[in-house]
Amino acid sequence: MTKHRVIFQPSGRRGEVEEGKTLLEAAQSLGVDIEGLCGSKKVCGKCKVRIEEGYFEKDNIESGMSHLSPITEAEKKHIKPEDGPGMRLACTAEIYGDLKVFVPERSRAGKQVIRKAAKELSIAIDPAVKKYNIDLVPPTLHDMATGDYERVLRFLEEDYGIKGLTFDYAALKGLQDALRQGDWKATVTVWMDREIIKVEPGFVETCYGLAVDIGTTTCVGYLTDLNTGKVVNTESMMNPQVPYGEDVMSRITYAMSNPAGLETMQKAIIEGLNEIIERVVSEIKKDGPNPGHAVDDMTIVFNTAMHHIFLGLNPVYIGRSPFIPAVQNSMNIKARDLGIKINPSSYIHVLPIEAGFVGADNVGVLIAEEPYNQDEMVLIIDIGTNGELLLGNRNKVCSTSCATGPAFEGAQIKFGMRAAPGAIEKVQIDPLTKEPLYKVIGKADWHTHLEKVNAKGICGSGIIEIVAEMFKAGIIDKTGRFVVDLDTPRVRRDSEGKPEYVLAWAEETSIGTDITITQGDVRALQLAKGALYTGAKLLMKRLDVAKLDRVVLAGAFGSHIDREASLTLGMFPDCPMDKVYAVGNAAGDGARMALLNKGKRSEANERARWVEFVEIATDPTFEKEFMQAMHIPHMKDKFPNLKAFLEKSGSKVEIKG
Amino acid sequence: MVTEDKKKELLERLKNAVIQYDEDTAKEAAKEVLDVGMNANDAIFNGLVSGMEEVGRLFEAQEYFVPELLMCADALYAGLDILKPHVQQLDLGVKGSVVIGTVEGDVHDIGKNIVKMMFDVAGFTVYDLGRDVPLDKFVEEQLKTDSDLVCLSAMMTTTMVGMKKVIDDLRAKNPNVKIMIGGAPVSQDIAEKWGADGYAKDANNALKDAINMISSLKKLKEEAEARKSR
Repeated sequence: MTKHRVIFQPSGRRGEVEEGKTLLEAAQSLGVDIEGLCGSKKVCGKCKVRIEEGYFEKDNIESGMSHLSPITEAEKKHIKPEDGPGMRLACTAEIYGDLKVFVPERSRAGKQVIRKAAKELSIAIDPAVKKYNIDLVPPTLHDMATGDYERVLRFLEEDYGIKGLTFDYAALKGLQDALRQGDWKATVTVWMDREIIKVEPGFVETCYGLAVDIGTTTCVGYLTDLNTGKVVNTESMMNPQVPYGEDVMSRITYAMSNPAGLETMQKAIIEGLNEIIERVVSEIKKDGPNPGHAVDDMTIVFNTAMHHIFLGLNPVYIGRSPFIPAVQNSMNIKARDLGIKINPSSYIHVLPIEAGFVGADNVGVLIAEEPYNQDEMVLIIDIGTNGELLLGNRNKVCSTSCATGPAFEGAQIKFGMRAAPGAIEKVQIDPLTKEPLYKVIGKADWHTHLEKVNAKGICGSGIIEIVAEMFKAGIIDKTGRFVVDLDTPRVRRDSEGKPEYVLAWAEETSIGTDITITQGDVRALQLAKGALYTGAKLLMKRLDVAKLDRVVLAGAFGSHIDREASLTLGMFPDCPMDKVYAVGNAAGDGARMALLNKGKRSEANERARWVEFVEIATDPTFEKEFMQAMHIPHMKDKFPNLKAFLEKSGSKVEIKG
Repeated sequence: MVTEDKKKELLERLKNAVIQYDEDTAKEAAKEVLDVGMNANDAIFNGLVSGMEEVGRLFEAQEYFVPELLMCADALYAGLDILKPHVQQLDLGVKGSVVIGTVEGDVHDIGKNIVKMMFDVAGFTVYDLGRDVPLDKFVEEQLKTDSDLVCLSAMMTTTMVGMKKVIDDLRAKNPNVKIMIGGAPVSQDIAEKWGADGYAKDANNALKDAINMISSLKKLKEEAEARKSR
């Protein structure tokens, strides 16, 4: 039987599929949820997927429409020109070659759980964009020497004390009608007390801004009332660049090896952002030709690669040593120049970059957490597709970036998946019987062994808990090696003779096969956590610090990992357990703060330059530190706090105190 | 004259010292080898290297991981440092000389260092260019040293693409040179597509391949010795 390689995006699920199977069958066997209301009767048209064309270096796969059975009449009925090129019905198209398939958001059955909710911020409200109500004396024949422009400026100077304003050209074009429509009562929107970016008839009070966080995998926009600071609506989506590469490096490679690669990806993210804008403003404005124009300001954070691609800057030089970015300082770019569908005269404020691999998202974390205003020695870990670290206090703060690889996001893990319904996210293992208890996303209760829970895979935070629990239960030793002579059917050898632990038996799952943690999974996690620990350790060495006062876990993912599990694994050096805490999407918080307080923008520029970036990979002790940090929790370092904590909770596992 | 039993015991101790990453025992046993007048070549190949072969097997089976591997390497080097000055010039019938480095733009070199170590052990002359090596430097160094093997390493997709240029340039200048590539983003398909002779998937396979080379080298050595004694 001939088999072909099939990769599904954005989930990243992949495998070999028998020739002649439909894409839907392939999706089901690989645990990818595609909507299929009609049960493959070709009538609902819900299972539309896009076939990627071309050669993809990272996956080494040549994909194209010619690798499928010819398009049928039934499909032609459902596929509309507005769906774009490369669309097929998954229930109908049969596989005759290697394929890379993108499952659009609307065709996905299990929607991803976006873990980037906004939290309350305490910050003084002083936005960059403000609205001023003006009540002009209508001009008469006695006052013919003052133009509309000058009339508005004179009022703003006399009544509000704002001098030297300029007028955005496009906004100026709407001035005359706006003043007369509102019977000389109007509202002027001013950016940074420098430039008028909108004139509306009548008195308008509410002013909206959008804070945007573009992650390698997830993008989110927080629509914010600039007068109250409240988030009015939040919308998110998968980064539409995922089909061009799951990680930053493969996207940079895509830009290098495809002539229009950069433009393609830039267009994808701008379109994606415009979709977020359209959805997010539906809360405040339902009709009109340009609902997004109600938004007058935008701040944006992202990692350096996403930053460059968004701005259409060549990302090649940040993809290789010495990782030099095109620009470090913050930027203000007219929305119309980028094709962002908010008020075209408004500015997109792009937060600054620290260094080649420490981007505006980390600056967001920096200004949100403000380690530079504190006495305690704090380690801030922002875990996404890459790991960025900040260490320091008011005297000095250092930053670095660690190549953790995608293990924390569930990629490169045999049964890894993104955080979506069906993903195992929490686990406990009985140290005596080695039997697990687990909880899947989308179900409130812990699994009790008796019911079918339809587990589908394991998400990143779940993997951390499982490996920590396996260590505490003695299933793996401190080197990460399986202890194979345990009297339980759950620890067994796979077809290649490599050990694995069965977390869920086939009958508990929706994929019809046992969900296991393999020796390879443990190794992938050891590499990832070892990289983080090494980063933290080398920053501590740089600052000559022997112990940490506090550890802050930031990032959508960081907020969901169990602090006990993360300390047990040794993702970072020892710290009192009650001083380890999660702060949620701190990068997004930073973007919101910069939106609400313009002082934060200059603070970001100053602090981004003040922080010292440390390149750890070239440190002469890197190899040795990395090697030691791969053990659980560490080969040599002592963990007195962890030891005390585990002893108190009755764990038998041995930790160096 | 050293007895066969003593010889066997020392070889076993050297081998186990490497497997159990016990630097002290490796040093002690190596010193004893010299004290009792045993052949240093024998101790290296049938003791230390045998141990490393077993380590490679354990690594392949995922029982050992990078930390253990590097510690085993430390034990091996500890023994090797003592024995190497007493090694008689090996006449292997093949010229073992290799240019190795991590390609331009890439500063990650643990994998490369592991492979390099294995070549060291095998008695190759190793020209280690280090990391972030300008692409032209590989060609230049190969021509200068007339090495038969060039090993290229990259950990990032972005830098991996530089390997293709090195391979093309090497082929143009010297069609007979053997080229081996490795690193996280490299695959067998890429190696074939770009025309490399060998591929090492990661530290795992790099080690295995390197050990295969050592094993075949040992065979060549045995054959050479057999021929000599005849």
